[in-house]
Amino acid sequence: MTEEHIVTSFDDELTELTDGLVNLGNLAQVALSNVEMALKTNDHNLAQETIDADKKINELELKLEEMTFNILAKRQPMANDLRNVFSSVKVSLFLERIGDMCKGVCKRIVKGDLLNAKSPKTIDALVDLTNDVQKNLDLVLEDYAQGKADNALKVWRSDIKIDSSYASILTAILDDIRNKPEAIEALVPLFFIARYLERIGDQATNIAEVNHFIVTGEVLTDDRKIESEEETVF
Amino acid sequence: MNASSSNKSLIKCSDVNVYYADQQALFNINLDIKEKEVTSLIGPSGCGKSTFLRCINRMNDVIDICKVEGSIEIDGQNIYDTEVDVVELRSRIGMVFQKPNPFPKSVYDNVAYGPKLHGRILHQSDLDRKVEESLERAGLWAEVKDRLQEPGTSLSGGQQQRLCIARAIAIDPSVILMDEPCSALDPIATAKIEELIDELKSKYTITIVTHSMQQAARVSQRTAFFHLGKLIEVGDTEKIFRSPDHEQTEAYVTGRYG
Repeated sequence: MTEEHIVTSFDDELTELTDGLVNLGNLAQVALSNVEMALKTNDHNLAQETIDADKKINELELKLEEMTFNILAKRQPMANDLRNVFSSVKVSLFLERIGDMCKGVCKRIVKGDLLNAKSPKTIDALVDLTNDVQKNLDLVLEDYAQGKADNALKVWRSDIKIDSSYASILTAILDDIRNKPEAIEALVPLFFIARYLERIGDQATNIAEVNHFIVTGEVLTDDRKIESEEETVF
Repeated sequence: MNASSSNKSLIKCSDVNVYYADQQALFNINLDIKEKEVTSLIGPSGCGKSTFLRCINRMNDVIDICKVEGSIEIDGQNIYDTEVDVVELRSRIGMVFQKPNPFPKSVYDNVAYGPKLHGRILHQSDLDRKVEESLERAGLWAEVKDRLQEPGTSLSGGQQQRLCIARAIAIDPSVILMDEPCSALDPIATAKIEELIDELKSKYTITIVTHSMQQAARVSQRTAFFHLGKLIEVGDTEKIFRSPDHEQTEAYVTGRYG
Protein backbone atom coordinates (compact mmCIF):
# COMPACT_ATOMS: atom_id res chain seq x y z
CA MET A 1 0.00 0.00 0.00
CA THR A 2 1.80 3.11 -1.20
CA GLU A 3 -1.00 5.69 -1.02
CA GLU A 4 -0.64 8.29 1.67
CA HIS A 5 -2.99 8.73 4.57
CA ILE A 6 -5.47 11.58 4.51
CA VAL A 7 -3.90 12.67 7.80
CA THR A 8 -0.32 13.28 6.66
CA SER A 9 1.04 13.53 10.20
CA PHE A 10 0.10 9.85 10.60
CA ASP A 11 2.34 9.07 7.62
CA ASP A 12 5.12 11.09 9.24
CA GLU A 13 4.79 9.11 12.47
CA LEU A 14 4.82 5.77 10.64
CA THR A 15 7.86 6.82 8.62
CA GLU A 16 9.63 7.91 11.80
CA LEU A 17 8.81 4.57 13.41
CA THR A 18 10.04 2.55 10.43
CA ASP A 19 13.20 4.65 10.14
CA GLY A 20 13.83 4.17 13.85
CA LEU A 21 13.49 0.41 13.48
CA VAL A 22 15.81 0.37 10.50
CA ASN A 23 18.36 2.28 12.63
CA LEU A 24 17.90 -0.18 15.46
CA GLY A 25 18.43 -2.98 12.95
CA ASN A 26 21.64 -1.32 11.79
CA LEU A 27 22.90 -1.12 15.36
CA ALA A 28 22.15 -4.82 15.87
CA GLN A 29 23.92 -5.64 12.59
CA VAL A 30 26.98 -3.66 13.68
CA ALA A 31 27.00 -5.43 17.05
CA LEU A 32 26.87 -8.82 15.35
CA SER A 33 29.52 -7.85 12.85
CA ASN A 34 31.73 -6.76 15.77
CA VAL A 35 31.10 -10.14 17.42
CA GLU A 36 32.30 -11.89 14.29
CA MET A 37 35.45 -9.75 14.09
CA ALA A 38 36.17 -9.99 17.82
CA LEU A 39 35.76 -13.78 17.71
CA LYS A 40 38.10 -14.01 14.73
CA THR A 41 40.77 -11.73 16.13
CA ASN A 42 40.13 -11.99 19.88
CA ASP A 43 39.90 -8.19 19.85
CA HIS A 44 39.12 -7.16 23.40
CA ASN A 45 38.81 -3.48 22.56
CA LEU A 46 36.22 -4.12 19.90
CA ALA A 47 34.37 -6.44 22.26
CA GLN A 48 34.35 -3.75 24.95
CA GLU A 49 33.10 -1.16 22.43
CA THR A 50 30.25 -3.51 21.57
CA ILE A 51 29.36 -3.97 25.23
CA ASP A 52 29.29 -0.19 25.69
CA ALA A 53 27.26 0.37 22.51
CA ASP A 54 24.47 -1.89 23.77
CA LYS A 55 23.22 1.04 25.86
CA LYS A 56 22.36 2.86 22.63
CA ILE A 57 20.35 -0.13 21.42
CA ASN A 58 18.40 -0.25 24.66
CA GLU A 59 17.70 3.47 24.56
CA LEU A 60 16.49 3.37 20.99
CA GLU A 61 14.30 0.35 21.73
CA LEU A 62 12.61 2.28 24.56
CA LYS A 63 12.13 5.30 22.33
CA LEU A 64 10.49 3.18 19.64
CA GLU A 65 8.28 1.51 22.22
CA GLU A 66 7.06 4.93 23.32
CA MET A 67 6.45 6.01 19.72
CA THR A 68 4.42 2.87 19.09
CA PHE A 69 2.43 3.41 22.26
CA ASN A 70 1.57 6.96 21.17
CA ILE A 71 0.58 5.89 17.67
CA LEU A 72 -1.74 3.21 19.04
CA ALA A 73 -3.32 5.68 21.44
CA LYS A 74 -3.68 8.51 18.94
CA ARG A 75 -4.40 6.79 15.63
CA GLN A 76 -6.03 3.45 16.44
CA PRO A 77 -4.51 1.96 13.29
CA MET A 78 -6.33 -0.62 11.20
CA ALA A 79 -5.42 -3.38 8.73
CA ASN A 80 -1.87 -3.07 7.35
CA ASP A 81 -1.14 -0.10 9.61
CA LEU A 82 -2.24 -2.13 12.61
CA ARG A 83 -0.08 -5.05 11.54
CA ASN A 84 2.87 -2.71 11.02
CA VAL A 85 2.57 -0.85 14.29
CA PHE A 86 1.87 -3.97 16.34
CA SER A 87 4.81 -5.74 14.69
CA SER A 88 7.18 -2.88 15.35
CA VAL A 89 6.92 -3.66 19.07
CA LYS A 90 7.96 -7.24 18.43
CA VAL A 91 10.77 -6.40 16.00
CA SER A 92 12.27 -3.82 18.33
CA LEU A 93 12.23 -6.34 21.18
CA PHE A 94 13.89 -8.99 19.00
CA LEU A 95 16.59 -6.50 17.99
CA GLU A 96 17.13 -5.44 21.56
CA ARG A 97 17.58 -9.09 22.51
CA ILE A 98 20.14 -9.49 19.71
CA GLY A 99 22.03 -6.56 21.23
CA ASP A 100 21.96 -8.26 24.62
CA MET A 101 23.25 -11.52 23.20
CA CYS A 102 26.04 -9.82 21.28
CA LYS A 103 26.95 -8.16 24.55
CA GLY A 104 26.94 -11.58 26.21
CA VAL A 105 29.41 -12.98 23.67
CA CYS A 106 31.62 -9.90 23.98
CA LYS A 107 31.74 -10.17 27.76
CA ARG A 108 33.14 -13.69 27.36
CA ILE A 109 35.76 -12.39 24.91
CA VAL A 110 36.79 -9.57 27.26
CA LYS A 111 37.12 -12.10 30.08
CA GLY A 112 39.71 -13.93 27.96
CA ASP A 113 37.60 -17.02 27.46
CA LEU A 114 38.71 -17.52 23.84
CA LEU A 115 42.39 -17.84 24.68
CA ASN A 116 41.70 -19.90 27.77
CA ALA A 117 39.68 -22.42 25.78
CA LYS A 118 42.63 -23.23 23.52
CA SER A 119 40.25 -24.62 20.95
CA PRO A 120 40.85 -22.80 17.64
CA LYS A 121 38.73 -25.25 15.66
CA THR A 122 35.68 -24.57 17.80
CA ILE A 123 36.29 -20.82 17.57
CA ASP A 124 36.42 -21.13 13.78
CA ALA A 125 33.13 -22.99 13.90
CA LEU A 126 31.68 -20.21 16.06
CA VAL A 127 32.83 -17.65 13.47
CA ASP A 128 31.14 -19.68 10.73
CA LEU A 129 27.97 -19.85 12.81
CA THR A 130 28.11 -16.08 13.28
CA ASN A 131 28.40 -15.65 9.52
CA ASP A 132 25.30 -17.77 8.90
CA VAL A 133 23.36 -15.88 11.53
CA GLN A 134 24.51 -12.57 10.06
CA LYS A 135 23.27 -13.56 6.62
CA ASN A 136 19.82 -14.32 7.98
CA LEU A 137 19.68 -11.13 10.00
CA ASP A 138 20.71 -9.09 6.94
CA LEU A 139 18.00 -10.73 4.83
CA VAL A 140 15.16 -10.20 7.28
CA LEU A 141 16.16 -6.61 8.03
CA GLU A 142 16.38 -5.85 4.32
CA ASP A 143 12.86 -7.29 3.93
CA TYR A 144 11.61 -5.29 6.89
CA ALA A 145 13.00 -2.01 5.58
CA GLN A 146 11.31 -2.64 2.22
CA GLY A 147 8.02 -3.87 3.65
CA LYS A 148 8.50 -7.29 2.05
CA ALA A 149 8.65 -10.90 3.18
CA ASP A 150 10.53 -12.31 0.20
CA ASN A 151 13.16 -14.01 2.36
CA ALA A 152 10.90 -15.19 5.17
CA LEU A 153 10.74 -18.83 4.14
CA LYS A 154 14.37 -18.90 3.06
CA VAL A 155 15.42 -17.74 6.52
CA TRP A 156 13.15 -20.33 8.12
CA ARG A 157 14.81 -23.03 6.11
CA SER A 158 18.33 -21.89 6.86
CA ASP A 159 17.62 -21.67 10.58
CA ILE A 160 17.63 -25.46 10.49
CA LYS A 161 21.23 -25.28 9.26
CA ILE A 162 22.08 -22.91 12.12
CA ASP A 163 20.51 -25.28 14.64
CA SER A 164 22.49 -28.15 13.19
CA SER A 165 25.79 -26.18 13.26
CA TYR A 166 25.02 -25.30 16.87
CA ALA A 167 24.47 -28.96 17.67
CA SER A 168 27.78 -29.89 15.99
CA ILE A 169 29.64 -27.24 18.00
CA LEU A 170 28.15 -28.58 21.22
CA THR A 171 29.21 -32.10 20.28
CA ALA A 172 32.74 -30.89 19.50
CA ILE A 173 33.00 -29.07 22.84
CA LEU A 174 31.73 -32.18 24.65
CA ASP A 175 34.33 -34.29 22.87
CA ASP A 176 37.05 -31.83 23.92
CA ILE A 177 35.85 -32.01 27.50
CA ARG A 178 35.87 -35.80 27.40
CA ASN A 179 39.43 -35.76 26.05
CA LYS A 180 40.65 -33.08 28.45
CA PRO A 181 38.46 -33.18 31.58
CA GLU A 182 40.82 -30.78 33.31
CA ALA A 183 39.93 -28.09 30.72
CA ILE A 184 36.22 -28.17 31.48
CA GLU A 185 36.13 -24.69 33.06
CA ALA A 186 37.96 -23.19 30.09
CA LEU A 187 35.69 -24.90 27.55
CA VAL A 188 32.26 -24.32 29.11
CA PRO A 189 32.20 -20.58 28.13
CA LEU A 190 32.25 -21.69 24.49
CA PHE A 191 28.92 -23.41 25.13
CA PHE A 192 27.46 -20.08 26.18
CA ILE A 193 28.86 -18.28 23.15
CA ALA A 194 27.37 -20.92 20.84
CA ARG A 195 24.06 -20.66 22.66
CA TYR A 196 24.00 -16.86 22.27
CA LEU A 197 24.66 -17.15 18.55
CA GLU A 198 22.00 -19.79 18.06
CA ARG A 199 19.51 -17.57 19.92
CA ILE A 200 20.41 -14.63 17.65
CA GLY A 201 19.54 -16.91 14.74
CA ASP A 202 16.17 -17.55 16.38
CA GLN A 203 15.54 -13.82 16.67
CA ALA A 204 16.23 -13.44 12.94
CA THR A 205 13.68 -16.21 12.31
CA ASN A 206 11.22 -14.36 14.54
CA ILE A 207 11.68 -11.23 12.45
CA ALA A 208 11.08 -13.33 9.31
CA GLU A 209 7.77 -14.45 10.84
CA VAL A 210 6.83 -10.86 11.61
CA ASN A 211 7.64 -9.80 8.03
CA HIS A 212 5.39 -12.56 6.75
CA PHE A 213 2.59 -11.43 9.07
CA ILE A 214 2.92 -7.78 8.06
CA VAL A 215 2.69 -8.60 4.38
CA THR A 216 0.07 -11.38 4.41
CA GLY A 217 -1.83 -10.90 7.66
CA GLU A 218 -1.22 -14.58 8.35
CA VAL A 219 0.98 -16.23 10.93
CA LEU A 220 3.63 -18.68 9.77
CA THR A 221 2.82 -21.90 11.55
CA ASP A 222 4.90 -24.86 12.57
CA ASP A 223 3.20 -26.93 9.87
CA ARG A 224 4.64 -24.66 7.23
CA LYS A 225 8.04 -25.01 8.78
CA ILE A 226 7.71 -28.77 8.54
CA GLU A 227 6.56 -28.41 4.92
CA SER A 228 9.58 -26.28 4.13
CA GLU A 229 11.84 -28.76 5.87
CA GLU A 230 10.43 -31.47 3.64
CA GLU A 231 11.03 -29.30 0.61
CA THR A 232 14.63 -28.91 1.69
CA VAL A 233 15.04 -32.68 1.86
CA PHE A 234 13.93 -33.03 -1.73
CA MET B 1 -18.82 -12.94 -0.86
CA ASN B 2 -20.15 -13.79 2.56
CA ALA B 3 -17.91 -14.81 5.43
CA SER B 4 -18.71 -17.93 7.32
CA SER B 5 -20.62 -17.76 10.55
CA SER B 6 -22.54 -20.34 12.51
CA ASN B 7 -25.67 -18.18 12.64
CA LYS B 8 -28.20 -18.59 9.85
CA SER B 9 -28.99 -15.74 7.47
CA LEU B 10 -32.14 -13.88 8.49
CA ILE B 11 -31.98 -11.31 5.71
CA LYS B 12 -30.97 -12.29 2.19
CA CYS B 13 -30.42 -9.49 -0.29
CA SER B 14 -30.09 -10.57 -3.92
CA ASP B 15 -29.17 -8.37 -6.87
CA VAL B 16 -30.45 -5.23 -5.21
CA ASN B 17 -30.30 -2.18 -7.48
CA VAL B 18 -31.60 1.19 -6.36
CA TYR B 19 -32.21 4.22 -8.53
CA TYR B 20 -33.07 7.80 -7.68
CA ALA B 21 -34.69 8.79 -10.99
CA ASP B 22 -31.95 8.12 -13.58
CA GLN B 23 -29.19 8.01 -11.01
CA GLN B 24 -28.24 4.52 -9.86
CA ALA B 25 -27.37 4.50 -6.15
CA LEU B 26 -26.81 0.78 -5.53
CA PHE B 27 -25.43 -1.81 -7.93
CA ASN B 28 -26.22 -5.52 -7.65
CA ILE B 29 -25.91 -5.83 -3.90
CA ASN B 30 -25.81 -9.42 -2.71
CA LEU B 31 -25.52 -9.55 1.05
CA ASP B 32 -26.72 -11.96 3.70
CA ILE B 33 -27.30 -10.63 7.20
CA LYS B 34 -26.97 -13.21 9.91
CA GLU B 35 -29.47 -13.73 12.67
CA LYS B 36 -28.67 -12.36 16.13
CA GLU B 37 -25.46 -10.77 15.03
CA VAL B 38 -24.43 -7.19 14.52
CA THR B 39 -23.53 -6.29 10.95
CA SER B 40 -21.80 -2.97 10.33
CA LEU B 41 -22.14 -1.13 7.05
CA ILE B 42 -19.16 1.13 6.45
CA GLY B 43 -17.96 3.31 3.60
CA PRO B 44 -17.41 6.95 2.67
CA SER B 45 -20.33 9.39 2.52
CA GLY B 46 -22.52 8.79 -0.49
CA CYS B 47 -21.43 5.16 -0.91
CA GLY B 48 -24.99 3.86 -0.52
CA LYS B 49 -24.85 2.29 2.93
CA SER B 50 -27.78 4.30 4.32
CA THR B 51 -29.73 3.79 1.10
CA PHE B 52 -29.18 0.08 1.51
CA LEU B 53 -30.22 0.18 5.17
CA ARG B 54 -33.42 1.95 4.22
CA CYS B 55 -34.23 -0.72 1.65
CA ILE B 56 -34.49 -3.25 4.47
CA ASN B 57 -37.59 -1.64 5.96
CA ARG B 58 -38.84 -0.11 2.69
CA MET B 59 -38.29 3.41 3.89
CA ASN B 60 -37.32 4.32 0.35
CA ASP B 61 -40.97 3.74 -0.63
CA VAL B 62 -41.78 7.25 0.53
CA ILE B 63 -39.35 8.74 -2.00
CA ASP B 64 -41.29 9.01 -5.26
CA ILE B 65 -38.27 8.96 -7.54
CA CYS B 66 -36.72 5.97 -5.79
CA LYS B 67 -36.96 2.58 -7.48
CA VAL B 68 -35.73 -0.65 -5.85
CA GLU B 69 -35.03 -3.78 -7.90
CA GLY B 70 -33.99 -7.24 -6.79
CA SER B 71 -35.13 -9.11 -3.74
CA ILE B 72 -34.71 -8.66 -0.01
CA GLU B 73 -35.95 -11.67 1.89
CA ILE B 74 -36.54 -11.56 5.60
CA ASP B 75 -37.15 -15.02 7.02
CA GLY B 76 -37.84 -16.30 3.52
CA GLN B 77 -40.31 -13.61 2.47
CA ASN B 78 -39.42 -11.05 -0.19
CA ILE B 79 -40.38 -7.76 1.47
CA TYR B 80 -40.86 -6.16 -1.95
CA ASP B 81 -43.64 -8.60 -2.93
CA THR B 82 -46.83 -6.70 -3.75
CA GLU B 83 -48.89 -8.45 -1.06
CA VAL B 84 -46.52 -7.39 1.74
CA ASP B 85 -48.16 -5.06 4.27
CA VAL B 86 -45.54 -2.36 4.83
CA VAL B 87 -46.96 -1.32 8.21
CA GLU B 88 -46.79 -4.92 9.42
CA LEU B 89 -43.27 -5.23 7.94
CA ARG B 90 -42.07 -2.19 9.87
CA SER B 91 -43.48 -3.64 13.05
CA ARG B 92 -40.90 -6.41 12.61
CA ILE B 93 -38.08 -3.98 11.93
CA GLY B 94 -37.16 -1.29 14.43
CA MET B 95 -35.19 1.72 13.28
CA VAL B 96 -32.94 4.09 15.18
CA PHE B 97 -31.74 7.26 13.50
CA GLN B 98 -28.67 9.44 13.64
CA LYS B 99 -30.26 12.12 15.78
CA PRO B 100 -32.42 11.01 18.69
CA ASN B 101 -35.99 11.75 17.63
CA PRO B 102 -38.36 11.08 20.51
CA PHE B 103 -42.01 11.92 19.83
CA PRO B 104 -43.24 15.10 21.53
CA LYS B 105 -44.86 12.92 24.13
CA SER B 106 -44.01 11.61 27.57
CA VAL B 107 -41.28 9.03 28.12
CA TYR B 108 -44.03 6.47 28.77
CA ASP B 109 -46.02 7.32 25.64
CA ASN B 110 -42.93 7.22 23.46
CA VAL B 111 -42.47 3.56 24.32
CA ALA B 112 -46.18 2.69 24.48
CA TYR B 113 -46.90 4.29 21.11
CA GLY B 114 -45.84 1.36 18.92
CA PRO B 115 -47.57 -1.45 20.83
CA LYS B 116 -50.75 0.67 20.99
CA LEU B 117 -50.58 1.58 17.29
CA HIS B 118 -50.24 -2.03 16.26
CA GLY B 119 -53.06 -2.98 18.65
CA ARG B 120 -50.94 -5.64 20.24
CA ILE B 121 -51.58 -4.77 23.84
CA LEU B 122 -55.10 -4.19 25.10
CA HIS B 123 -54.77 -3.98 28.87
CA GLN B 124 -53.13 -1.12 30.68
CA SER B 125 -51.23 -3.42 33.03
CA ASP B 126 -49.74 -5.28 30.06
CA LEU B 127 -48.74 -1.99 28.50
CA ASP B 128 -47.11 -0.86 31.75
CA ARG B 129 -45.17 -4.10 31.80
CA LYS B 130 -44.12 -3.70 28.15
CA VAL B 131 -42.94 -0.12 28.74
CA GLU B 132 -40.92 -1.14 31.79
CA GLU B 133 -39.47 -4.18 30.04
CA SER B 134 -38.47 -2.15 26.95
CA LEU B 135 -36.89 0.63 29.01
CA GLU B 136 -35.12 -1.98 31.11
CA ARG B 137 -33.78 -3.71 28.01
CA ALA B 138 -32.63 -0.35 26.66
CA GLY B 139 -30.74 0.24 29.90
CA LEU B 140 -32.85 3.29 30.74
CA TRP B 141 -35.41 2.12 33.30
CA ALA B 142 -33.35 2.98 36.38
CA GLU B 143 -32.79 6.49 35.08
CA VAL B 144 -36.37 7.30 34.06
CA LYS B 145 -38.65 5.18 36.22
CA ASP B 146 -39.60 8.28 38.24
CA ARG B 147 -39.86 10.51 35.18
CA LEU B 148 -42.19 8.48 32.99
CA GLN B 149 -44.65 11.34 32.53
CA GLU B 150 -41.97 13.90 31.67
CA PRO B 151 -41.49 14.76 27.99
CA GLY B 152 -39.08 12.44 26.18
CA THR B 153 -37.35 15.51 24.86
CA SER B 154 -36.39 16.54 28.41
CA LEU B 155 -33.90 13.66 28.64
CA SER B 156 -30.21 14.02 27.76
CA GLY B 157 -29.10 13.20 24.19
CA GLY B 158 -27.84 9.75 25.16
CA GLN B 159 -30.98 9.00 27.15
CA GLN B 160 -33.13 10.14 24.24
CA GLN B 161 -31.31 7.75 21.93
CA ARG B 162 -31.81 4.88 24.37
CA LEU B 163 -35.47 5.94 24.59
CA CYS B 164 -35.64 5.60 20.80
CA ILE B 165 -34.12 2.14 21.13
CA ALA B 166 -36.69 1.26 23.81
CA ARG B 167 -39.40 2.53 21.45
CA ALA B 168 -37.99 0.37 18.65
CA ILE B 169 -37.86 -2.81 20.74
CA ALA B 170 -41.29 -2.26 22.33
CA ILE B 171 -42.88 -3.66 19.17
CA ASP B 172 -40.87 -6.89 19.45
CA PRO B 173 -39.03 -6.59 16.16
CA SER B 174 -36.71 -9.29 14.91
CA VAL B 175 -34.46 -6.73 13.21
CA ILE B 176 -33.12 -3.40 14.42
CA LEU B 177 -31.64 -0.99 11.90
CA MET B 178 -29.40 1.77 13.21
CA ASP B 179 -28.28 4.67 11.05
CA GLU B 180 -25.23 6.22 12.76
CA PRO B 181 -26.91 5.97 16.16
CA CYS B 182 -24.02 7.54 18.08
CA SER B 183 -22.92 10.32 15.78
CA ALA B 184 -24.70 12.98 17.85
CA LEU B 185 -23.64 11.58 21.22
CA ASP B 186 -20.73 12.19 23.57
CA PRO B 187 -18.25 9.36 24.32
CA ILE B 188 -20.00 8.25 27.52
CA ALA B 189 -23.43 8.08 25.86
CA THR B 190 -21.79 6.35 22.89
CA ALA B 191 -20.25 3.74 25.20
CA LYS B 192 -23.65 3.06 26.76
CA ILE B 193 -25.26 2.59 23.33
CA GLU B 194 -22.43 0.28 22.26
CA GLU B 195 -22.84 -1.74 25.45
CA LEU B 196 -26.56 -1.90 24.74
CA ILE B 197 -26.01 -3.06 21.16
CA ASP B 198 -23.83 -5.85 22.52
CA GLU B 199 -26.59 -6.96 24.88
CA LEU B 200 -29.39 -6.62 22.32
CA LYS B 201 -27.74 -8.89 19.81
CA SER B 202 -28.70 -11.96 21.84
CA LYS B 203 -32.33 -11.24 20.92
CA TYR B 204 -32.26 -9.14 17.76
CA THR B 205 -30.54 -9.02 14.39
CA ILE B 206 -28.86 -5.64 14.22
CA THR B 207 -27.55 -3.75 11.21
CA ILE B 208 -25.72 -0.54 11.90
CA VAL B 209 -24.40 2.17 9.61
CA THR B 210 -21.39 3.83 11.17
CA HIS B 211 -18.64 6.20 10.17
CA SER B 212 -16.51 5.14 13.08
CA MET B 213 -14.23 2.28 12.11
CA GLN B 214 -13.44 1.64 15.76
CA GLN B 215 -17.13 1.44 16.57
CA ALA B 216 -17.68 -1.08 13.78
CA ALA B 217 -14.72 -3.06 15.10
CA ARG B 218 -16.07 -2.96 18.64
CA VAL B 219 -19.73 -3.75 18.14
CA SER B 220 -20.12 -5.91 15.07
CA GLN B 221 -19.37 -9.50 14.20
CA ARG B 222 -19.52 -8.84 10.46
CA THR B 223 -18.69 -5.79 8.42
CA ALA B 224 -19.64 -4.80 4.89
CA PHE B 225 -17.72 -2.14 3.00
CA PHE B 226 -19.58 -0.10 0.39
CA HIS B 227 -17.99 2.16 -2.19
CA LEU B 228 -19.72 4.14 -4.94
CA GLY B 229 -22.90 2.10 -4.58
CA LYS B 230 -21.15 -1.26 -4.72
CA LEU B 231 -20.56 -3.80 -2.02
CA ILE B 232 -16.81 -4.22 -2.18
CA GLU B 233 -16.23 -6.68 0.62
CA VAL B 234 -18.09 -8.35 3.46
CA GLY B 235 -16.62 -10.60 6.08
CA ASP B 236 -15.89 -11.22 9.72
CA THR B 237 -15.18 -7.87 11.33
CA GLU B 238 -11.86 -9.08 12.68
CA LYS B 239 -10.73 -10.01 9.19
CA ILE B 240 -11.93 -6.73 7.63
CA PHE B 241 -9.97 -4.66 10.12
CA ARG B 242 -6.89 -6.87 10.38
CA SER B 243 -6.29 -7.94 6.81
CA PRO B 244 -9.08 -7.27 4.34
CA ASP B 245 -8.96 -9.02 0.99
CA HIS B 246 -9.74 -6.01 -1.14
CA GLU B 247 -7.32 -3.14 -1.64
CA GLN B 248 -10.10 -0.54 -1.57
CA THR B 249 -11.27 -1.81 1.81
CA GLU B 250 -7.72 -1.62 3.13
CA ALA B 251 -7.34 1.93 1.82
CA TYR B 252 -10.59 2.99 3.48
CA VAL B 253 -10.12 1.39 6.88
CA THR B 254 -6.57 2.72 7.16
CA GLY B 255 -7.63 6.26 6.33
CA ARG B 256 -5.96 6.43 2.95
CA TYR B 257 -9.14 6.90 0.99
CA GLY B 258 -10.10 10.46 0.11
